[in-house]
Amino acid sequence: MSSPLLRVENLNKAFGKVVTARDLNFTVEAGVLTSIIGPNGAGKSTLINVLSGLLPADSGHVYFQGEEITHLPTHRRVRLGLCRSFQVVNVFPHLTVFENVEIPVLAQMRKAAHLFRPVAREKAVGQRVMEVLERTNLAGQANGTASALSHGDQRLLEVGIALAAKPSLLFLDEPTAGMNPVERVDILRHIRRLSASGETTFVIVEHDMDIVFSLSDRVMVLNRGDIICDGGPDHVKGDRQVRECYLGEEVVA
Amino acid sequence: MNSKGTHAIYLAIILGLAVLGLVADRFVLYMGMRVMLLAIFAMGYNLLLGRTGLLSFGHGALYATGAYGMALVNLHLTPDPLLGILAGVALATACSLIVGFFCVRHTEIYFAMLTLAFGMMIFSLIWNLRELTGGDDGLVGISRGSVLGLPIAKDGQFYFLVLFFFALTLWLIHRLRGSAFGLILAGIRENNQRTSFAGIPVKSYRLAAFVISGVFAGLAGSLGAMLESNTDPFSAHWSHSAEPILVSLIGGLQTFSGPLVGSVIFVVLREIIQRFTQNWMLWFGVILLAIIMGMRGGVMGGLEKRLKRGPAPAGKGEGS
Repeated sequence: MSSPLLRVENLNKAFGKVVTARDLNFTVEAGVLTSIIGPNGAGKSTLINVLSGLLPADSGHVYFQGEEITHLPTHRRVRLGLCRSFQVVNVFPHLTVFENVEIPVLAQMRKAAHLFRPVAREKAVGQRVMEVLERTNLAGQANGTASALSHGDQRLLEVGIALAAKPSLLFLDEPTAGMNPVERVDILRHIRRLSASGETTFVIVEHDMDIVFSLSDRVMVLNRGDIICDGGPDHVKGDRQVRECYLGEEVVA
Repeated sequence: MNSKGTHAIYLAIILGLAVLGLVADRFVLYMGMRVMLLAIFAMGYNLLLGRTGLLSFGHGALYATGAYGMALVNLHLTPDPLLGILAGVALATACSLIVGFFCVRHTEIYFAMLTLAFGMMIFSLIWNLRELTGGDDGLVGISRGSVLGLPIAKDGQFYFLVLFFFALTLWLIHRLRGSAFGLILAGIRENNQRTSFAGIPVKSYRLAAFVISGVFAGLAGSLGAMLESNTDPFSAHWSHSAEPILVSLIGGLQTFSGPLVGSVIFVVLREIIQRFTQNWMLWFGVILLAIIMGMRGGVMGGLEKRLKRGPAPAGKGEGS
């Protein structure tokens, strides 16, 4: 039996009295496109922040490909293959689109510490950057400044930067936030295609139910730090507790 | 501007300076050396400020450690100038490693204040360790000796040693800016969090940038001690750290040539204004105000923008 890609054990995180993760236990299997949903304040973003190393966990353990990563700094997690994108556009605004992707590629190929070798001469890096840009449909804008891209393209670039690190597990925090419907359909098509290619397993945090149910193999529903439902889209759609929580009713155990 | 054109310009500058060294009088030589020393200091410094986005008030102290390291070796161990410079640079490197280790854990105002605190500590050490540093007198009587059998005692000879290190600095900074490392530093300036999520240990890279800028500060300091044949305790004062900041701002933070152009403007302007008035700082302040408010991006930054608006729109974001 192979170990799961990600294993979370008794994970706890609270901000004062607000509990955002209460004894969470779950695994993520390679190749299963998983979505995490839940009402506002359910703890979805916090969970991603803890798993990606932005916030420390209060207690519990996180294992990635069998190795404990609970206390590793972010850049070490990225090197192991666990990466994320952000809810708000988080790119390098004044660098070119090419350079935006070049930074993670240099890190991934262990060439970031070359002090005196002109970066333009790193041919393998350049090729890999163009590969990523082609996969995210940004190759045409490679020499433009990132801040000059449309919002939708900046979100794509965001995903491109994350992909450039060659992650085996990639968290996307609301990848469609602030997008218009056309851009939304576009990015979903990309995610589906990238997921099908099998290199990267996606875990997506999303608000839009249509997107979640059409895209995911598995849906986890979070509410106030608890997992209240976990299973295939159809199973989750039919769950009474989930409906109640989305209708705004208090769930009394 | 393409890279061949840029290389040609810099080669011409070095050659021009070499010719100047052969024909100029003592005063012009002295001014030329002051400009080159400030440029070495500022170009290293701007790798930290313009490139990595970290504002340090402690580099005056690093400059001074270079000067004192050089002077101590020169006065007590050997008059060999290269060994002296090596000692000065080594001491500055060691200091920037220690200071940087604590400072790079923080950013922005906290980083700036920490560097200020360390700078003040070094200044007061130099001021109070009279036995070792000469206190407020500084260390006097530094001899220049000779390099590889060539005497450098006269300014006309020493000039070429300064020119050599100036050219070396230009080349090294140029390579550093164009390397993978240089791009990562720009990434840290633009978005520190994202750089860390790209798999980069951001603190180590900040420390590297800090130490590299410290190395050049130390180099400028040890050459400065040789030029004046004494050391000045006030070169360790935090106000001296303002010089590379101003110079980079005047010339353009985001350009390679900015600190160089800024150094020329700074040294020459100060000299001219001092002839006319005791209040040179007042008039210098007014001119600085005009440059900073009138030309965002500094002299070279402004020039670059103007060139780009011309017939051929350039592709890359960061230019010469």
